[in-house]
Amino acid sequence: MRPARPRHVSSLIASVPVFVFLVVPTLIVLPVAFTGSRYITFPPQQLSTEAVTGFFRDQAWMSALSASLQAAGVAVVIAVLLGGTAAVALHGRTFPGKAAITGLLLAPMIVPAVVLALAFYQFFISVGMVGTVLPIGLAHAVLAVPYAFLTVRASLAGLNPALVRSASSLGAGAFSVMRFVYLPVIRPGLVAGALFAFSVSIDETVIALFLQSPNATTLPVKMFTDIQYNLTPKIAVSSAMLVTVATLGLLVQVCFTIRRRSVARLLPLTAPEQTG
Amino acid sequence: MTSTVTPAAATASASAGAGAPRRRRRPRGTWLLLLAPVLAFDAVLFLTPLGKLVAASTHDHAYQRVLKDPLVSRSLLNTFEISALSTLATVVLGYLLAVVIWRRGPLARVILFALVLLPFWTGVLVKNFAWAVLLQDNGLVNTALQGLGVTDAPLALLHDRFAVVLGMVHYLLPYAVFPIFAALAAIDDRLELAARSLGAGEASIFRRIILPLTVPGVSAAGLLVFIISTGFFITPVVLGGPGDMMIANQIDFYARQLTDFAGASALALLLTVIVSVLVAIYQRILRAGGEYEAG
Amino acid sequence: MTTTTTQQTSASAPHEERRGAIELRGVRKMYGNIAAVDDLDLSVEPGEFVTLLGPSGSGKTTTMMMVAGFEELTSGTVLIDGEPVDRLPPKDRNLGVVFQSYALFPHMSAAENVGFPLRMRGVQRGERRGRAEEALARVGLAGLGDRRPRQMSGGQQQRVALARALVFNPAALLLDEPMAALDKRLREQMQDEVKTLQQSLGISVLFVTHDQDEAMSMSDRIVVMRDGRIVQEGAPEDVYAHPRTDWVANFLGDTNLLPCTVLERKDGEAVVDLGAWGVGRVRDRGAKGDAYAVSIRPEHLRFVDADRCENRGSGRVLSSTGLGATIRHRLHVGGQDVVMRELGTGSRATGGLDSEVTVGWSPEEAQLLVLEP
Repeated sequence: MRPARPRHVSSLIASVPVFVFLVVPTLIVLPVAFTGSRYITFPPQQLSTEAVTGFFRDQAWMSALSASLQAAGVAVVIAVLLGGTAAVALHGRTFPGKAAITGLLLAPMIVPAVVLALAFYQFFISVGMVGTVLPIGLAHAVLAVPYAFLTVRASLAGLNPALVRSASSLGAGAFSVMRFVYLPVIRPGLVAGALFAFSVSIDETVIALFLQSPNATTLPVKMFTDIQYNLTPKIAVSSAMLVTVATLGLLVQVCFTIRRRSVARLLPLTAPEQTG
Repeated sequence: MTSTVTPAAATASASAGAGAPRRRRRPRGTWLLLLAPVLAFDAVLFLTPLGKLVAASTHDHAYQRVLKDPLVSRSLLNTFEISALSTLATVVLGYLLAVVIWRRGPLARVILFALVLLPFWTGVLVKNFAWAVLLQDNGLVNTALQGLGVTDAPLALLHDRFAVVLGMVHYLLPYAVFPIFAALAAIDDRLELAARSLGAGEASIFRRIILPLTVPGVSAAGLLVFIISTGFFITPVVLGGPGDMMIANQIDFYARQLTDFAGASALALLLTVIVSVLVAIYQRILRAGGEYEAG
Repeated sequence: MTTTTTQQTSASAPHEERRGAIELRGVRKMYGNIAAVDDLDLSVEPGEFVTLLGPSGSGKTTTMMMVAGFEELTSGTVLIDGEPVDRLPPKDRNLGVVFQSYALFPHMSAAENVGFPLRMRGVQRGERRGRAEEALARVGLAGLGDRRPRQMSGGQQQRVALARALVFNPAALLLDEPMAALDKRLREQMQDEVKTLQQSLGISVLFVTHDQDEAMSMSDRIVVMRDGRIVQEGAPEDVYAHPRTDWVANFLGDTNLLPCTVLERKDGEAVVDLGAWGVGRVRDRGAKGDAYAVSIRPEHLRFVDADRCENRGSGRVLSSTGLGATIRHRLHVGGQDVVMRELGTGSRATGGLDSEVTVGWSPEEAQLLVLEP
């Protein structure tokens, strides 16, 4: 007696292999990291933590991990500070040239990574900054600023500029306005921006590859170099670590989404990351 | 705190005032002060390097040289072929996923979105590594194919164009799902009810209503995916063979193998110009996309 | 409570005679533990214009969506043309539906919109175009077939929606608040047009609205809904003149409610004690409840001589406001404020503010009703 209401079962079934295609390759690195053998097989023949302990005892991998974290640290701090202040500065303001400034702030997102890599390579050589992690961190900051800018701008979307004006009219100085009006509103945007900046930096390969030196080889660069010779379980361990970071980022994003009750909130943040 | 307005900013805002909307406020000094660091940062670390790149490209007749190089035209052709193929597959699969997510309730939507977002948060190397593991001679795919009796000996799945496209589609799918989902979500629910009451079955509703209404969203998604495709660098190296070099690899080759920075810069600018044109078209599509939205 | 239930059932009735009939039997719709529609019996006779009238949340739209097939029934049956349709998907129910925001397809021209249901029924292109133009002409849009919905006014869009819902000769028309987006003037014009169109086509209509003026002006029969139930149904004038409860009386226009105790009821009349208003005779429909009142519409009160009228009360004038065609008096009579509407531009009967007046009514125009708890 129930009227036929379409359940779209066929498209749901057809989508299952696509979801598997999407998710499974990302997750198989976890079991592979616990492969016992020297060479990688999937599914693994036996489980062992040999590769994991080997990874953490390996000098080269440890210095790569440290280089990655340092670069990411630089990128996160700069991106959050500069992206956040830029978003606050432009909030609720219309003036000529605003579109141009916004365009400039977002431009690093659309320039292909290899182009930036080449530009940074020539630039840092010309100013004599080579052989350390700092240029990699700075380059990653350039990439990450737009993300922090967008997340903070999104968190400001609900703040009425009139509120800021009224706070000013009540005698709040610029510092108080920042502290009591803006900061509480943009805090989630700052957290999300930091997360995005970290994710961009920790996964970025092309620029880090161009700017690498013996003392500054990041995790992805080390993986990229090793993959071309041999598929070792240590690469899997490194991958597993990056997947874990990705999962944490994802969880935070999902929590944000659920709290805001709007999937649309995800959309402005899912802008291109061009390191393919 | 004092507010200092630079004369330039003051006259500039005054001149635009006539056409500007009602709430015309000049930026006060405090806010310029907040904007200054990021502008300085981008000027030094983004515009200057790009400027040097442009300058470098003008040396040694770089443009004539690279355009005559058969390797360059080969990689341009590769880039176009691989990107077009990946885009097509990505948009078709992305549409399927977007429709499935759109049809679900709010909770299922979040879960399915999370599935799409997990690979989105994962770096390209992890994904390429996973595909290399799966596609290698004794990998899961070959084992499965042999187990099913499709083939006796392992197939050489790795280091060819198929693997590159597979890896790229995997990477690009989330980028297609989001804009297509947004286009679907913008459709007024009642259009579907109306079509149903007017005698349309599921297939007709999809073909005559849903599909035409999402054309702008799908074009935007396709273009976005194509734009990202053209810059791929890692995947062709890890999953492709010598014949699958793309334009980004060619730039790398000029820079790090030939140490021909003028040539590399010229190629890089060529790629930037192509991408910028595509981005401009993309933004135009996005703006026109509002045409069919509810309201 | 009983509502009119049609006795003739589908089993014996030939389809053709019942074409356009809609019938709901014991229909219930639960959302969790909440009944959006509760044990509803309703029928629309062929060619009849029936309006579901109620405030938002009364279940009227849910009821219509169940008839259209967009909502599943929790229990009960819907019959169209005398046949149960519970297993039929919306596309096979052959009902023309006009939605609140019209739901025109934005990527199609007006003619393509109207031609859509024909296309779904396999009508060839040439014939489709002809019939679409014909349907557009019928709603006064001849020659506008090539316009996109976005290029049309609200009223024009509504006509397209109407033409689209009628072009395939549906068994009946379902209209869900179709005038809600129009301004008052256009709304009144469209009400007339829709009614004229309905009568010329002889098609049954199930109309959903929260606007009592709209319901009054268009319907053959009004079904007043509240909290998922029918509280009263009947011809518009009848429901207006003889509300069963104080809620219905208030929902359908202004009224004066005078609390009373019933002394005697027989033959459709009751003798009631109105306290300070004395004992009077009123119309009685036999409604039973714990407390009673008499409803008298403002236009049914009139000034009378103190001893010439059987039903009356005396008091003072609080205010008089000219409204153009009528005058609105606020009076204090028998210990309570009442409103009275008098036709004309100058009052003949009052001596101005605070003057002594006596008002009366005729038993046919005062209704005994139940006060809801």
